[in-house]
Amino acid sequence: MSTEKILSSDGIPLEISLKKAERKNKLKALMLVGPLFLFLIITYIFPIGDMLFRSVDDRMITQKLPNTFAALEKWDGKELPDEATYEAFYKDFYPLAINKEAGKLYQRLNYEKSGFSSGLKKTNRTIKKFEKANYKEQFMATHKIWKDVDYWIALKNTAPNWSYAKYLKGLDLKFDQDRNIIQQDEDRRIHKILWLRTIKVAFWVTVFCFLLAYPISHLLATLPMKYSNLLMICVLLPFWTSLLVRTSSWMVLLQQQGPINDLIVWLGWAADDNRPELMYNVVGTFVAMTQILLPFMVLPLYSVMKTISPSLMRAGKSLGGTPFTAFRQIYFPLTIPGIGAGCLLVFILAIGYYITPALVGGASGSLISNTIAYHMKSSLDWSFAAALGSMLLVGVLTIYWIYNKLVGIDNIKLG
Amino acid sequence: MKKISKLLLALSFVLSITTSAFAVTVVSWGGAYTESQKLGYGDPTAAKLGIPVNWVDYTGGLSEIKAQKEAGKITWDIIDVYAKDTIVGCDEGIFHEFDFDKDFAPAPDGTPASQDFFTGMPSKCAVGNILYSWNYAYNDATIGAKKPNSLKDFFDTKNFPGKRAIYKGAMSNLEIAITADGVNPGKGSDLTYRKLEADGGIDRAMNKLKALCTDPNGGCVFWNAGAQPPELLANGEVVMATGWNGRFFNAQMEGTPLVQVWDGQILDYEYFALVKDGPGYADGSAMKVLREMTSTEGLAGSAKYIAYAPWRKSSIAIIDAGEPWFKDGKTSMVQHMPTAPANTKRYILMNPDFWADNQDEIGEKWEAMKAGL
Repeated sequence: MSTEKILSSDGIPLEISLKKAERKNKLKALMLVGPLFLFLIITYIFPIGDMLFRSVDDRMITQKLPNTFAALEKWDGKELPDEATYEAFYKDFYPLAINKEAGKLYQRLNYEKSGFSSGLKKTNRTIKKFEKANYKEQFMATHKIWKDVDYWIALKNTAPNWSYAKYLKGLDLKFDQDRNIIQQDEDRRIHKILWLRTIKVAFWVTVFCFLLAYPISHLLATLPMKYSNLLMICVLLPFWTSLLVRTSSWMVLLQQQGPINDLIVWLGWAADDNRPELMYNVVGTFVAMTQILLPFMVLPLYSVMKTISPSLMRAGKSLGGTPFTAFRQIYFPLTIPGIGAGCLLVFILAIGYYITPALVGGASGSLISNTIAYHMKSSLDWSFAAALGSMLLVGVLTIYWIYNKLVGIDNIKLG
Repeated sequence: MKKISKLLLALSFVLSITTSAFAVTVVSWGGAYTESQKLGYGDPTAAKLGIPVNWVDYTGGLSEIKAQKEAGKITWDIIDVYAKDTIVGCDEGIFHEFDFDKDFAPAPDGTPASQDFFTGMPSKCAVGNILYSWNYAYNDATIGAKKPNSLKDFFDTKNFPGKRAIYKGAMSNLEIAITADGVNPGKGSDLTYRKLEADGGIDRAMNKLKALCTDPNGGCVFWNAGAQPPELLANGEVVMATGWNGRFFNAQMEGTPLVQVWDGQILDYEYFALVKDGPGYADGSAMKVLREMTSTEGLAGSAKYIAYAPWRKSSIAIIDAGEPWFKDGKTSMVQHMPTAPANTKRYILMNPDFWADNQDEIGEKWEAMKAGL
């Protein structure tokens, strides 16, 4: 009796048929999340993976110049390489020039050192007439880059198939001839400045947004419905307007002959011939970005404040606390999930901004995202753009991690 | 209901196939410029050849076409690009290499195309379209009694106090700075770029600009978009602004009292490039459209709508004979062209090779300089 299994009506043991039914249900549930899962893979996981891959992938050049890199392995990087190396380069470059396949090489090497592009192009034109001896001499007669040790060092540094050189470049570092990591030339150290500036702008915009949004959200949450709805529309209205329109309207308002300056002069706060500069500096960036990002702070704060019962404050006060104590000990701690969500949202959005600062920020308006856009659109150095993008991503994840350690990620509330 | 929607779907599918099979897509910068291209030679070409020409706007750079190529689905045929982009695009194998005299129509008198164009092309993948100028302008209503008339005056904060608007990038600024610092470009000689490439040349130009931007009587506003310089002058934000002559011309036509200063202008070019393996590449329709648009009458046509100069010498002759050529029927165009004799007493000829070589390194130095302002 005890060994006999319970059978279902069609003779299959009940346990198995139950499992079968359950599996079917699980599959159905999986199919429901399937589209989202696929969407995430296609639009998120795959592009980010591709970006990370691009930032370290440097195989193209290694495949095109195998002989050269083999010859350069023994070279010490002190003086110009020997005849054999030049010959190896000829062996690699000649077929590329004949088959018109050298183009990608110009760009890739020009990223490494300026001047490679025109030097290689000149070489491309003359290499067909080279005699089959004295390669070094002929190369050196063709273009000045072949007489310069620095260009050979730059070439040698592109040898590895996988390289983190682009990440170094993003931190103003580079390899020297012995592959030691050294600082970039002083007048070209720009990326550190841009990183710091980006973080600074994002930080202050978050602070200003918080200071402005907290009282507004409180008002929204406590006012009677008919007023708060009206106020809510005022908060959301800019949300429905295009980013560029809002930025350009700030340009109209903030310019030196603009309405805000007119008002300041009319109130007598400044002389007419000495109007304050409200735009083309950090002031413009802060003002415009704070206004644009404000709804992202107001909405999470509002939704959290809405759930706090007013009787809690009353209870605090009736127990003998001053209004400030009640606020500090009861109300504020209850809003922390909303503050966390709002600050994270605003900071992460601000760190990737570039159109607004570029338009109203003047010389201080170029941030790290502008550099990424430049390398995507103009120089076509996509691997460097990918490296900068990955660094930005790591930065955001770090902030998320710090937040998790300090406040706890469960303690975040969007609504 | 279902039937109708199915029918509509099928119809739109058929339509999209037919249009994409025959139309040639030309990509350009938008605004008044694309308008001048469309009306000047796009529509006449389409009417003449019976091949529809679609115009698409973009914001410059090769990233989009590179992405299309990597994805294996190219939708653009002809792109309006900067010189340095023709070089980069040619190197990357994105653009078709022309056999110039065979691919492009000779002038009406039989002069081969390569002789009819002002100068040689920066790469084998480029065919000239318009010449434009980076010059500077001031607002006649606000400048005062003394009027600037040379590139030196742009840097003269003693006689002309006030802010200057300059381009956000290093391009064009280094050229005018080193010219104002005493390197005479003459009529487009290569001295300007030789001096910039020499040791310390870049620093020399940047110091000149740094001095202007940090001068308490001067100061700099950096502009991003071509519409900004006339705007900044009109509302009195700056006393002088560098910019593109066509934009200043348009503002003048709209009644803003701007005066353009042509001394030391930088002559720059726009080009067309033909995308390899675009939808109209295999059957040659894209090439046919391009040949027609860059013909003598084609290029002359766009000058009816904008103050940029056609590349062909023979087009100028047509405009000259047809004055007043501008669409309003009363403005003579030749005097507003960057190539007019009165405007070319002293000019710099843009060197795209210099920028293709050095843009990254100079760009970093330029941003570092700007960060220290």
